[in-house]
Amino acid sequence: MIKVGIPRALLYYQFYPAWKTFFERLDAEVVVSPPTNKTMLNSGISRAVADTCLPVKILLGHAISLIGKCDCLFIPAVTSLGEKTYNCSKIIGLPNIARALIPESPIILDPEIDLEKGRYYLYHNIYKTGHYFISNPFKIKKAVEAALESNFAYRRKMSDFGITPIQAISGNEDKNFDRKQGKESSMRIAVIGHPYVLYDNYINHNLISKLQLMGANVFVPEMVPEAMLDAATTRLAGEAHWSFENDIIGAGEYYLEQKVDGIVNLSVFGCGPDSMMVKFLEHRAKELGVPFLPLSIDEHSSEGALLTRLEAFVDMVKRREKVCV
Amino acid sequence: MRVGFPHFSTVYITAKAVANKLGASDDELIIPPPMTQKTLDLGVKYSPAEACLPYKLTLGSLIEACELGADVLIQARGTGICRLGYYAKDQEQMLHDLGYNTHFVNLDVSEHKIQSLKQLVKDLTHDAPLPKIISAVFFGISKLFALDKIEKVVQKTRAVEIEKGEANQIYREAIKAIDEAMERKEVKKITKEYIGRLNQVPINHTANPLKVGVFGEIYVVIEPFANMDIEVELGKLGVEVHRTMTLSRWVKYSLFLNYLGMNEWRGVHKLAKPYVDHDVGGDGWESVGEKVLYARKGYDGVVHIAPFTCMPEIVAQNIMQSTRENMPVFALISDEQMGKQGMLTRLEAFVDLLEFRRRNGKRI
Repeated sequence: MIKVGIPRALLYYQFYPAWKTFFERLDAEVVVSPPTNKTMLNSGISRAVADTCLPVKILLGHAISLIGKCDCLFIPAVTSLGEKTYNCSKIIGLPNIARALIPESPIILDPEIDLEKGRYYLYHNIYKTGHYFISNPFKIKKAVEAALESNFAYRRKMSDFGITPIQAISGNEDKNFDRKQGKESSMRIAVIGHPYVLYDNYINHNLISKLQLMGANVFVPEMVPEAMLDAATTRLAGEAHWSFENDIIGAGEYYLEQKVDGIVNLSVFGCGPDSMMVKFLEHRAKELGVPFLPLSIDEHSSEGALLTRLEAFVDMVKRREKVCV
Repeated sequence: MRVGFPHFSTVYITAKAVANKLGASDDELIIPPPMTQKTLDLGVKYSPAEACLPYKLTLGSLIEACELGADVLIQARGTGICRLGYYAKDQEQMLHDLGYNTHFVNLDVSEHKIQSLKQLVKDLTHDAPLPKIISAVFFGISKLFALDKIEKVVQKTRAVEIEKGEANQIYREAIKAIDEAMERKEVKKITKEYIGRLNQVPINHTANPLKVGVFGEIYVVIEPFANMDIEVELGKLGVEVHRTMTLSRWVKYSLFLNYLGMNEWRGVHKLAKPYVDHDVGGDGWESVGEKVLYARKGYDGVVHIAPFTCMPEIVAQNIMQSTRENMPVFALISDEQMGKQGMLTRLEAFVDLLEFRRRNGKRI
């Protein structure tokens, strides 16, 4: 049985259930790297150019940790997921970066997913990836269908039950999240940001559970139905150019319309798309008079500084409630 | 209507020429002042902290144009991958917040370039007849070509001239003369005259200058303010500079020859193929290819210029360090924190390294 290594970083949080289904249908075994730890972070940082953003460094660390544990690595180049929208360059060039910086890595499977280039190109690329495991094209087709189905199920699960990707992937739907939610106060805080920073608890220092411990009801972008996201993005910033920014801008706008008490934006230092798009949201929050906390993290950010800012923010939101009511 | 646009190297000469040919009066076209520290400060003050340098510089330049009274602004627009796609939208909102009542018209630089240029000129001129527009645009473009032709000679002369700074002085005079030319014939005459003058500059005939290729993100490579005049500084150190990326080349291919199925980067993409096989946005793919190209051509080193946090160039930088072709790379990351002395020190060390390498058979 061929072992496929999937790094627990970047697009893992969006597409893992689909990838898992796909490879398991092709009789392959899926190996996922363990949650981020210091060794991984350091090995990633040591390879990449200093200006590279944190999530890419972390992906490299995860990929390095998988060497020797699998026969091939799966790092797709997700170029475009819709008409006239693209992803950040670093996501498009991800397999190339990994190949250049980790010369000792096993084979990297890197299908280019580019819906702009048409159906044939997409099918061809997926078939090429599937062909590595199995030569029966019908079986590959079936695997793709199953993967699509599980992707939809995954997204529906998150928006219907209001859970985070981590819970949806691991299957424990209620536990920590719901028990902590909404006991002490009615404060509603939306935390928005890319899934690969929001749910990697090593790099964000457990931001979500920290907020919950302070008595906030936390809402994340994945809880918004997908159709609402696109509509909200268009209302705020016009035509979207970056696929994954919809999750941030659209969710932010959606939650602003739902009248949350505050918005926390978690972004990574040096993130190109965020640097342009979050401004729209900040502008809008200012218009509506909703508190907005921009947090920027990188490999040097400390837990203490984050906690201080969060506490100050939550205190401010609480006081506002008292004064306004 | 008073039209303004961001400063970008010699683009203002073309814009001025086109406007004059179309019979616009002097106050209908606002020529933005050359970039200075003030432009940068303005841009930095009103931009998101993590935006890239071209964004900040163009915003600063647009604000300066607004201060001079511009009410219609031209800005580039692109689809997709790089931040360029949102320049116009973000900047329009910012200028609006600052209280300038301006209207943006966009020049599409990633697809439908010629249609968008046509639309732009049409919007700005209202009812000028098409042949007149075409001849005006061609006249403007001819100035770009002339300037780039002279610049190529300047880059060669700078490295070997005996009295440093002479070629640059002639180049500055040439820019002024071409800016003032009113006819295409005149432009041709001036070009010939200045190339003749450059060839007469006393040079050191025995010198065999080091050759260095310059590439990277288009705005910071072409606009001297954004790269702290790195080409002039290299010239002072006796290094011959070669740069593929010029405004005239962009115009030639993007506006005309690409429509005939020609791609100026085909060869470069082919060289980059073992490392990157698809577009990563901006000029990232080209940068990887150009490093390989200069290595194959036997250059002594390359200079890679990128704005801080530029996504495509970071991809290129990561990949570039592991190409098979061994080649010293001088990476210049430009942002508002850059200082010229720091760059000069690094540049001197780089040139020393190249000389050492040449003497010792390129082993390090």
